[in-house]
This record gives sequence, C-alpha cells and structure tokens, in this order.
Amino acid sequence: MSWQYKLTSFAGAAAVATMMSGTFLTPATAEEIVLKMAVPDWPPTRIMKDMFDKQYKAPSGNTVKLDIDFIPWPDYYTRLNASLTSGEQKYNMAVSDSQWLGAFVEGGYYKKLNEFIDADPGLKAAMDDMHPAPLNAYATYPHKTQNYYGFPQFPDVLVTFARKDILCNEEEQKNFQAKFSKKLPCAPEELDDMDWEMFENIGQFFQRKKGENLAGKPADDDFYGIAYQAGKGYDFSSMQINGFIWQYGGNTWDETQAPKGQAEGVVNSPEAVKALDHYLKLIQYMPPVAKTGTMDIFKSDELFREGKVALNIDWIGLGEASLNPETSKVSDKIAFGLMPGLRGADGKIIRWSNIGGQPFVLMTWNTDAQTKEALDFVKWWLSKPVQTEYASKGGQSAMKSVYSDPAYVTFRPWNRAWAPSLDWQKDVWHVPQFFELLTQQQDQFDLAITGKQDGKTTLDNVAKFQQNLLSEAGLIAP
Amino acid sequence: MTSVALSPPAPDFKTIAPDNWKLAIAVGLVVSVLATLILPANAAFWVVGAMAAMVAASFVVNAYRRHYYGGLLVSPAIAVLFVMNIFPLLWSLGLSFFAYQSNQQTIRFVGLRNYQQLLTNDLKAPELWANLTNTALFVVLTVTAQMIVGFLLAVLFAKQFPLRKYLLILVLTPMMLSVVAVGVFFSYYYDPTFGLLSQVIKAWGGEQFILMSSKTGAVAGIVFADAWMWSPFVMLLVLAGLVSVPKYLYEAAAIDRVSGWRRFWTITFPYIRGLLMLALLFRTIEAFKMADLVILLTKGGNDTMTISYHVIRIANEQNKTSEGAALSYLLLFVVIVLTNLYLYIANRRSQGA
Amino acid sequence: MADTRSIWEKLGFRKASGVGEAGWGHTLFAAIISLIYFLPVLIIILTSFKLQTEALAVPPKLLPTTLFGLIPEQYVFSPTLENFTSVFSRAYVAGGAAESTGFDRFFFNSIFIASTSVLLALVIGTLAAYGFSRYALKGNDTYLFIILTTRMLPAIVVIIPVILMFRISGLSGSYLGIILLYTAFNLPFTIWMMKSFFDELSPDVEDAARLDGSSEIKVFRKICLPQVLAGLAATFVFGLILTWNEFLFALLLTGVDTRTVPVAMNQAVGGGGIGVLWGLLAAIETLFLIPVFLVTFFLQDHLLRGVTFGTVKR
Repeated sequence: MSWQYKLTSFAGAAAVATMMSGTFLTPATAEEIVLKMAVPDWPPTRIMKDMFDKQYKAPSGNTVKLDIDFIPWPDYYTRLNASLTSGEQKYNMAVSDSQWLGAFVEGGYYKKLNEFIDADPGLKAAMDDMHPAPLNAYATYPHKTQNYYGFPQFPDVLVTFARKDILCNEEEQKNFQAKFSKKLPCAPEELDDMDWEMFENIGQFFQRKKGENLAGKPADDDFYGIAYQAGKGYDFSSMQINGFIWQYGGNTWDETQAPKGQAEGVVNSPEAVKALDHYLKLIQYMPPVAKTGTMDIFKSDELFREGKVALNIDWIGLGEASLNPETSKVSDKIAFGLMPGLRGADGKIIRWSNIGGQPFVLMTWNTDAQTKEALDFVKWWLSKPVQTEYASKGGQSAMKSVYSDPAYVTFRPWNRAWAPSLDWQKDVWHVPQFFELLTQQQDQFDLAITGKQDGKTTLDNVAKFQQNLLSEAGLIAP
Repeated sequence: MTSVALSPPAPDFKTIAPDNWKLAIAVGLVVSVLATLILPANAAFWVVGAMAAMVAASFVVNAYRRHYYGGLLVSPAIAVLFVMNIFPLLWSLGLSFFAYQSNQQTIRFVGLRNYQQLLTNDLKAPELWANLTNTALFVVLTVTAQMIVGFLLAVLFAKQFPLRKYLLILVLTPMMLSVVAVGVFFSYYYDPTFGLLSQVIKAWGGEQFILMSSKTGAVAGIVFADAWMWSPFVMLLVLAGLVSVPKYLYEAAAIDRVSGWRRFWTITFPYIRGLLMLALLFRTIEAFKMADLVILLTKGGNDTMTISYHVIRIANEQNKTSEGAALSYLLLFVVIVLTNLYLYIANRRSQGA
Repeated sequence: MADTRSIWEKLGFRKASGVGEAGWGHTLFAAIISLIYFLPVLIIILTSFKLQTEALAVPPKLLPTTLFGLIPEQYVFSPTLENFTSVFSRAYVAGGAAESTGFDRFFFNSIFIASTSVLLALVIGTLAAYGFSRYALKGNDTYLFIILTTRMLPAIVVIIPVILMFRISGLSGSYLGIILLYTAFNLPFTIWMMKSFFDELSPDVEDAARLDGSSEIKVFRKICLPQVLAGLAATFVFGLILTWNEFLFALLLTGVDTRTVPVAMNQAVGGGGIGVLWGLLAAIETLFLIPVFLVTFFLQDHLLRGVTFGTVKR
C-alpha cells in the first residue's frame, strides 16, 4: 500500500467517523466534557480511576471523561509545579499535597470553592461531615480560615506497623518482662497504648545480631526493634519530628498567628529542643541506614517488609504493600496500632501527629462547564457509598458518617487506628514559602540525624532562618 | 572559494539593504535588549524572535549574493543553536537582573542585587561557598578517577586479542545506562543492611559497613559511581589515540632499544595528548553539572550538596527564577574561566612541544 | 570493498592477519577486568529476573542456577519473566485487572526523539562542518569557538530560560520542542567531530572534480560524503548515548504523550505506595539498554576508526 493511499484512506475513515459520531452516536443535548487531572501514581489514585471508569454517570447527562496523568511520586511536585507555573493551563484538576496550597493559591492557579459549596446543599453536607483536622489541612488557605480550596481525596495519618509474630512470642515476652518489668505489647490494644518510652525499650530489646536468638529461632540477619522516618529528602523527617515537638508542648511557626507569631523563641523553645533530642535519641536503636540520612518513609517500609524491624511508624498509604505477599515477606505477621505518643502526667498519652494525605483542587482557568462537571464528580466521590467502597478497597475517608460505621474497621487492619488518630492531627505551614521552610529545616534535621550537630543548634538555625525569611515576606511583623 | 571574484561589493554599514547583516545584527541586538528590558516576557519573546529571523535572513541573502556557500551551509546550525542555546542564555542573563518568581505575576528590575545577595548575604554566601567547594571536590575527584581508570582500560584494550570486540562492549555498557537506575542500584549496593558492599565485608569477618554515614564515605560512594559510569567515555577517546599510533614507530623503537617509559613519552603520548586533553575538558564540564547522582544517593546529605543541585532547588522547587539565573551565571563564569585556563595551558604546551 | 577475512576472524575468534598482537592470555586478563567492570550492570540484569521478595534477599541470591551444584542453594533464585510483562501491562490496584502502562509509547518516544534529534543534528552539523572546513569564513575560528562553548556550558544554565521559552512559544510537551532542544545539544559535538573528518580529506580529488565541471553539491555528495561514512556512524553513536538517557529536560519539557523512558522509569522508584520495585526497575533498564547496546555493538568498529580518523592530526 502506498503512503498516499494510506493517507487518503485514513482521512476518509476519519471523516466518516466524525460524521457518524456527529449524527448518530451523540444525543443532541449531551456534550463530552474532558477533565484533565494530574495525580501522583499510587494505589489511592489508581483505585479512584478504576471506580470512576466503572461507575460514574454524570448527573448532567454529559459524557464526562477523566483524563488522568499519573506521575511517579518522586517527580510529582516538579512536574505539577512546572506545568502550573509555565502557564500552559493543561490540567483542570489535580491531587495536591496539602502544604502546596499557599504557593499555588497565591500564584493564581487553584480555584476558590466557597461559592460552589454554599450553592450546593449536597456538597455542603459532605463538607460538614468532614472531620475538622483533615478539612483544615486539605481545604483551607490561609490555614484554618473559612476559605476553601480543596476536597479530601486521600486522607492519611502515621500509624505503627508491628510484627506480631515477634512481639507475641512467649520467650520474647518473658525476657522483656524480666528486663523492663513491663509487658511487651502484643495485642493491637496494647500497641495503641505504647508510649515513646516503651517504643525505646523495644528498640533496646530487639537488637539482635545475625545468628542470635530471635523469637525462638536464630536470626537470619541483623534485626532491629524500631524504625521511623529520618531521611533528608522532601519531608521525610519533619513529619515525624513535628509530632514530637507538639507532644512536648512545643510548636512550629504558627501561620494562623501571623503576623504576630514569631519563629525565634517558638521554633527553638526548650520544649521543642527536648522533643528533637528525644527523636534523635531513638535513632541509635534503628537499622544502620538511619545514620546515613537516607532512611525515608520508603526505606523504613522496605526494611519492615523485608522483616528487618519489629516496629515501624509509617503512613497508612504505604500499608497495602505490607499486606501483599508479592511485595512483603511478613504479609501474614502484621498488626497495626496508633502511633506512639508521650505519656502525660495523668497517665494519658499525648498523640499529636502531622497529618498526611492529599486534597483535590480545581484550577482557575476551567470553563464553567468543566467546573460544574468537576464539582459533580467531587460530590459523587464524597458520597457515602462511594467513600465506603473506596475505603473497602484500601482508601481512607475523612467523613464521620463513613468512618464511624462499625464495618469500617473491618476493611483493613489499620482502620481501627484511623478514627482515634484523627483528633490528634495537625499540619505544618501552607504558606507560599513552604518549600523554602521545609528544605532548610530538612537540611538542618539531617545534620542532627547524622550526628553533625546537636538538637539545640539545629533548632536555633531553623528558627533564625525562618524568622529572617518570614519577616522579609511580611508574615512576621517586626 | 573559487567564485568570490564575481560577487558584488559588500553594502556599506549604513545602507539599508537585505544583505547588510552587520546593520541587522546591530539593530537586532539593540531592539532585543530593549524589548527584554521593557516589554513583558511573552511580547519580548516574539520581538526577539523576529529580530533573530531578520539577522538570519540577512545572513542568508548576503551569503547567497556573494556565493558564500560556507555561510549558507553553516546558517542552519547557527540558527538552531541560537534559538535553543544562545538565546535562552541571554534571556536568563537578563532575568538575573530582575526580581522574578515563576509562580508570581510581578517582575521588577533590581540590577545586581541578586548577585550581591548571593555573594554577600550572611545566609546565602556561606551556602554558595560550601556548594562551590563541594562541586570543586567532585570535579577534581571524579575527573581524576575517570582519567586514570579510562586510561588504564584503554591500555588494556589497545592490543588486538581474541574476543576483544565482545569484552570491549561490556566495558562500554555503564555509560549507556540511565542515571536513575545507576543511582538507585548504587544506593542498594551501598545499603548497610541489604547492600552487597556491606555483605561482602561482613562475609569476610568485618562489621556491618555503613559507607554513607560520613562525608568521606558519601563522597567516595558518589565519586565511585560517577567514575564507573563515565570512565568508558575517557577510555574510548584514549583508545582511539592508542590504536592510531603507526606500528612502524614501535618497530623502529624496538630496534633502537628505547626503554618502555621513553617509548611511551616520545611515541605514544603525542598521539593521545590531544584526546586526553579533550576528555579532560569534556569530563570537567560534565562534572560541574553533577546533580542526579547526588540527589539519588544522598539528597545532598553529609555535606555533599553541589551547586548544580542547589540551582535545581532554587529555580525549580522554590520557583525563585531570578536567583537561580544569577547563581547559574556565577557558575558559568567559573566554568568559562576554567576552560579558558585549560585551553591556554593546552595551547602553550603544544606550542612548546 | 570486499572483506576477505574468514567468519572466524570477523567474530574475533582468530587473529586477523597482520594485526594480532596478543593472545588468549591477554584475553583472559581482559575478560576478568571486563567482567568485574560489568558486574554492577550484570546485577541489574539479573535482578530483572527476580521477584520483589527475592531482590533484596540477605544473603543475596546471586544466580538463577546452581551451576551444577557449584553454588549453594541459598544463593540461587528461580528466574521469572514477570517483571518484563509488568513493564508493559500490570494491575495497579491490588487484585485488579492488568492494564497497559503506556511503556510501549514511552519506548517509541525515546527511540523516536533520540534518533530524530541525533539524525537532525547529524544532517545540520555535517553541512555546517563542511562549510567550516571548505570555505574560509570571516571569523571562522570565533564561530567555531562559540559553538564549542555552548557545548561546554552545563545544561543546568539554560534550564530556566528554556522552560520559559517553551512556555511562551507553546513548545512545551511537543515532540518538536524536545527534538529541537536535543538537536541543539548534539550540534556542537557533531560539528566538531565532522569538521575534523572533512579536514582530513585530500582536496585534490575535489578540485579535479570541480575542474571537470561538477557542481559544489555534487562534489559534496559524490566525493566527500562517501569518504566520511565511518565518521557519521561514530558521531551517531556518541550522540545517541548522550541523548538516550537525558533526564532533566525530558522531565520538565515532555508531556504525557511525549514522555521518554528515563522519566517514566521513576514509576518503579517510590511510585505505587511502595519504595523501589527492584525487579521492575531492572527490567525497564534492561529493555532500555538493548537498543543502544546493539547500535553501539554493531558500530563499534566505526566508532574506534571514526574517532581516530577525526581527531588525530598527522
């Protein structure tokens, strides 16, 4: 076949197809609306796409297509940022990390949603049903105001991943009791009641060399008791350290107090220093990679899945891989509990923690039709049956009516930790300077984690930098 | 070349003629600079584009009228290079004198303030200095390692021997790999728990080995991975020189019983000197760009932050376009000074020889 | 030109007459060095045949076979092709149906973008090199120096303005944009390389042809070009290797449809709610290595000859 012939026949076929679709296939009133959406490539978004394709029918009668650009997590910010700031206006929606709100709202990319929520009782009801912690983190800018810019897509918290085969082993139980005069936690309720002291004890207790006895067998490799994130990349130490700081009664720079709130004196308060020192102290009991500043959320998860640690604190979003025998050597030996906290004077545990997860956002350049369809899609997403099904497939829901359903805790082993965790969630900065604040803080924390400076110096440096930057930006009044 | 005699005389500089390329360049430059300074970015883009097209057209007309086939042949290359390389460079030079962030709509002329900030601000200057020192460290170490390993490998493959072709391709493979895979897999090789390095040391009776826990270890890890990946490049260039030495020279040397060392300096070295210099130049320039491996192996931890990674952070993550541009130009300045120094030394050496 | 060597000589199993200098002893030595050097690549390739749970095993699972009982069982893994099928189609949701990953498209993009830009640079660059070599231009050396200088600049320096330029001109996410960009990056090297080739040719033949009334175009096409075919091959390979794995510009300037493999490869790095998918990453890299490996292998004679010819003035 010559290329001319190919070309003509192709053009002919295309023309026929266009005519057919124009005349026969489409009802006169309905339109096809395409929503282009940038999302990170991982199960919470893949499940969403799957459910959308199988179930979604637009109430308007239009044919709505969700054209999703799945971008690998390591490059997600760089790509989304480049697309937004380049002004190419490619995406109509995105799944955005909550802390990016400020930068992209100020840049004029994310659409304010208040008028649409107010105009739609269904949407309003869904928003009212949200737990306030995720709602504030994912939707509001400036933080904790009534200005809404996002809807929760996948809410996430830190929980404890535990090896019940090791922890519940009778011999280990007995030895632990003998050494520390308390019971080694084993049942999920006991894991929930774990404080940092117990966490540290477990770290001290399970430091086994290869060949030493571990739960009745010689360990096939060095084994460690505890792990949590201590990496230099993105936010892979701040998310854990912030929890410590809040639990000790210290604070990060509080954007809701701007411009009165200070950084110096707050960020490096004695409580915060004590908290950071506590965080740093525990690292000595963790797998050796922690000393290199590269133990991020993925590395500690990998160590856990490969059976090298007894306890790991990580995001629920990474949990699915631990349960899957194709990716985990310990898939049938896991229990989950709340993230440990600091035991207060009254014996109750203080559990402040940094929230994870991502909201949906809409873009300012969407046409009215696109905005309408996007909102209908969000309303569908935030309806109880869809949220329940999403949770049953491995997602999470921030809606009270969904997660308080008794069936919710049966979906996944970590779900029992979900509702009690929510009340303790806070979030860091949403201001446009987020990345500068985060990068500098991560650099400083890394110096402390790798043993190059102490906690006090670290927080002094962080405070000084933040005071300077935020004063220049007018977020701290002189 | 042969037909120059027939060409019409060149137009006077002040005459407005389609082939007056000198005037076109002058006008183009003035208008472009003015447009970049005054107009908003997207209007300036098209103005500068039009100016470039005008200059290009004048060149082509000029070349055609005077039968400068050379000019005609060269013009497409110059055009592509200008649009994709030289023009962006001039643009970012311009931006470095402004206060501009790509996620904000405002832009404001600040003169040399960005440069002044980078060089004197008590937070930014030490950072710049530390990053420059680290970059210099990596340049010296990686390039030295690549030159030595590359040279030795080339010597190994300079002779003809059975299966040479198949062994050579094995050695060439590392530079064909994607740097992402190299970075991720080297972080696995270096990992204290899973990594092969640690396990080999343990199997020989040592302790668990944490390579990346100190600056020395981290630098060594990065340098090793980079040198492993790019030594084949040096090898290929040096090898080309080695195999080009005419055999009769060696035969003559053998008759004269010249020592191995002298034979190398008097016969072999002259044939590979140019290529060694070239490899040195290319690898040095590449080493200044070192960012990917650092990001993948340490995220800049253990004081391994390079200036190139720093530019990526500033310009990309933090959207501080102007500051990134200013930083780029400081780096560029260093590179140009160094390469000129290289070329100067290389030229003197070759003249002296 | 007729090749009189036997098949054994061509394959390198027997010394070709006149050039043999070292024997099998040297081969053994070189083989040991080469294999050590190749080891990190070999591990990547072997990992592509391992399941995720075997990839990080301690002690490491080294080989797919016991080599007739030579290797203890604990160092042996059972090879699987699952990773290779997963590159093109896999289930993203646990328990879900397998869906296309788009990697067929990404491989096409990589091949298309790299080969087109390298070829384009070859055409434009060869013309320019011929121009520089044969016609005395005013300020010839200056042009050549500026062209070489653009190659000397770290790519990072042009990132910001290129993004801005692509954004304004709408080239962002198009094939044309990234191809032109890569062409520009390949040009200086191509020009420099090809110019030294043309410089080596004897001008007598060309002048004779000109006296016979051949046009300039005919001189170039019929006389010069056939003599530098080896150089063209060498330049192509060098350019291909450098373009093939470019990551930073590809990440920032390609769209969904024009994404190249080095960018998409990150799917297997910290992607699907899990850290590194070792087997998958290794499989992508192994597949990605094949085209450029083959091209280099089949052109490596030219590569060596090409560099020699081009850069050493005699």
